[in-house]
Amino acid sequence: MLAEENPQPQGTPSASSLLDVEDVAKSYGGVRALKGVSLFLRAGEVHGLVGANGAGKSTLIRILAGLTQPDRGRVALDGKVVSIPTPHRANELGMNFIHQELAFVPGMTVLQNIMLGVPKKTRLGMIDWRAIARDVEPIARRVGIVAPLFANVKGLSTAENWLINICRALVRKARLIVMDEPTASLAMSESEKLLSIVRDLSRSGVAVLYVSHRLNEILGLCDAATVFRDGLTVARMERTELSRAALVEAIVGGGVERLAKPDRKARRDEIALKATNLARLPKVRGVSFELHRGEVLGIGGLVGAGRSELTRLVFGVDKVDAGTMILDGAPFSPRNPAQAVKAGLGLVPEERRAEGLVLTKSVAFNLQIANLARIVRSPLLPLIDYQRRESLSLSMIRDLAIKTENIETPVGRLSGGNQQKVVIGRWLLRAPKVLILDEPTRGVDIGARGEIHRLIRDLAANGMAILVVSSEPDELPDLCDRVLVMAEGQIVRELTGDALSRNAIIEASYAGATTPREAFK
Amino acid sequence: MTEIATANRRLSPGAKAYLGFFARYGTIIGLIAMIVAFSILSPRAFPTVGNFTNVLNQASLAMIIAAGLTLAVVVGELDLSIGFAASLHGILVTGLIVSNQLPIPIAIVIVLTVGGLVGLINGLIVTKIRVNSVIATLGVGTILTGLAFAYSAGVPIVAGVPEAFLQLSLGRWLFGIPNNILVMAVVLGGLWLLVERTSLGQEIQAVGGNPAAARLSGINVDRIKILGFVISGVCAALTGILLASRLGSGTASAADGYLLTAFAAVFLGSATLRDGEFHVLGTLIGALIIAFCFNGLNIFGAPTFSQFILQGAILIVAVGLSSLGRAISES
Repeated sequence: MLAEENPQPQGTPSASSLLDVEDVAKSYGGVRALKGVSLFLRAGEVHGLVGANGAGKSTLIRILAGLTQPDRGRVALDGKVVSIPTPHRANELGMNFIHQELAFVPGMTVLQNIMLGVPKKTRLGMIDWRAIARDVEPIARRVGIVAPLFANVKGLSTAENWLINICRALVRKARLIVMDEPTASLAMSESEKLLSIVRDLSRSGVAVLYVSHRLNEILGLCDAATVFRDGLTVARMERTELSRAALVEAIVGGGVERLAKPDRKARRDEIALKATNLARLPKVRGVSFELHRGEVLGIGGLVGAGRSELTRLVFGVDKVDAGTMILDGAPFSPRNPAQAVKAGLGLVPEERRAEGLVLTKSVAFNLQIANLARIVRSPLLPLIDYQRRESLSLSMIRDLAIKTENIETPVGRLSGGNQQKVVIGRWLLRAPKVLILDEPTRGVDIGARGEIHRLIRDLAANGMAILVVSSEPDELPDLCDRVLVMAEGQIVRELTGDALSRNAIIEASYAGATTPREAFK
Repeated sequence: MTEIATANRRLSPGAKAYLGFFARYGTIIGLIAMIVAFSILSPRAFPTVGNFTNVLNQASLAMIIAAGLTLAVVVGELDLSIGFAASLHGILVTGLIVSNQLPIPIAIVIVLTVGGLVGLINGLIVTKIRVNSVIATLGVGTILTGLAFAYSAGVPIVAGVPEAFLQLSLGRWLFGIPNNILVMAVVLGGLWLLVERTSLGQEIQAVGGNPAAARLSGINVDRIKILGFVISGVCAALTGILLASRLGSGTASAADGYLLTAFAAVFLGSATLRDGEFHVLGTLIGALIIAFCFNGLNIFGAPTFSQFILQGAILIVAVGLSSLGRAISES
């Protein structure tokens, strides 16, 4: 059933299949997002699509939605090969997409939102909302919209906005609805309701492609499921074959176990940062951890588990709803990043280009921007000492092996890995007590990735406390002394020593909140 | 997404280099070409020390207000209140001197402080209430116009303006250089130093370049933005004071026209020497171009309507060049 030895997925498309994706590949620049995936689903089927972050699920959805074009392969509907050049065409073909970021216009009524982009009945050239309401009413009630059609959407919950999106799909006479992480932002009871509506849709002949990290939902809901890994279809399972163990095994793959862990100085006992019950609802729901000096602590978990949000709380970007922190023995509650920086923190943000760098400015400018006090002639006369600026920049360029023409080269011209080193170098010039790195090697080539990992370990060996967030389960075991796995805004497992492995991280990520929480302090 | 991708066609390296050179040095070449052309066409009236001093003297006020505006745009905001503010400050300073009999230096200090306060209000509205700066400063500017009319009851304050106040703008206290030019040189030199050579200037540039990155680097973005507005406000006040001194009166809406001139100068300046980046030296060159343009028109006796047409055209060309420069630096 699993495709470890035999990469051909099981099951064959039959004449009755509604959607048939065959050997679709797509590269972005040099990155092969899809190496060749196949998937089919029948009319009225609820079909699960699962895979780790970066497995290629989103890319396939973008192709089906007409947002991007495949390099290779074919997509067929009802056995006929179709091309989907635009989102409009996708809708015409009967496919509707409900993305994580819900499309709705606040300030318009429920009905207006349902009818967004749908041709409307008119009377004497005017839109006849009453007639439309008569047509839409039964559909709206069927999907469980209780709000009046003429009510403003502003006061509606996320769940109700989902229902509006589903209703829109039905008004358009959708035959296939693609749902991307539908329950990610829903409360438990709302999720239940949504799931029952999905079942109801299926009974009435509408197929649903259900993309979710929550394996319980896949197991409880789907007639069949397809698993992607590294841009390939690795398994297709029919209802009878579906099990948690089989799914996890397919998602993780039997691939290489982690490399031997490099020797590292034992972490010191001094606690650099202690967080107790940090919360900012709904993304972070009570997180506690201790970060020691000289330790590399990893935060693993799936996208949306609340990891980046946690770093934003620690760094004072967002305000906490509840919880306390202690930094070097003193209470620490930064109201903004400036205070966090002053207290001795540094953050290498997830979005390097958007949040890390001033791209049009030089390497030296970007290196020194958090460190200006060190390069002025005197605090009273804050004129920049250009010699000092140059020598500090050059030493950082040398230490981190940043490849750049000179210190005045605009940082936007550097490669991703070198840009990342500039952001890291900026903090090293301040020698922070705690350095937080969010996705430190995303979009970085293999060589630079190794260098950044070595650098992080060196810093820890010199006593810095380091918090690393990563979506790549492969990254954390090699890099970290200890990994906390987050799911749904909480820490669900602590992995250390021999228990710390790629597979353990993935397994814990998916186990999510359903596993009883071990007692972490 | 796809639309943007297709619209942003890659320029060939040759075309990019050519366009880049044009965008960076085009304004300076234009300035020189204009001076040469006017000198050839009007060899007696145009290329004289007297005329050049006159042009610079006339342009000084616009340069000061434009340099202030430069600080606001460097931090990534727009300040549309400056023209209206300068008008109010002109009335206020004459009013304080004539009606309230305040000594001239004290009146000037008060008005400069009010100018800073106007900037502070602009900055607080933009950063704390999160009103778009175009709307915020347009609203504040309109309110200021109302205050100007209320303060002066709609009548220009002309009578009783002391000679000493007039001498502020008309005098030549140092080496026979007109005072306006001296004040302009000090203000522009100071602002250039601030932005280009101090640590605060680095923070200002970081906030303008990428506010998110600046914030995550520990810079207090709101404070820097407010500072940009305050400097813009103080420069507007200084322009208002010098204009009142030059006109010998405080008149509501006397300085309103500086708004367009300042914007044209700032955007022309951003297309000068750097790729679409606002900077004080660029603003100076931008203001010079505009000043020589109008001086030439005056010498050749062009009708008044042509000035409006030229002013509008310059503004559009300036912004066009500026965004061209940015497109090149980003491609």
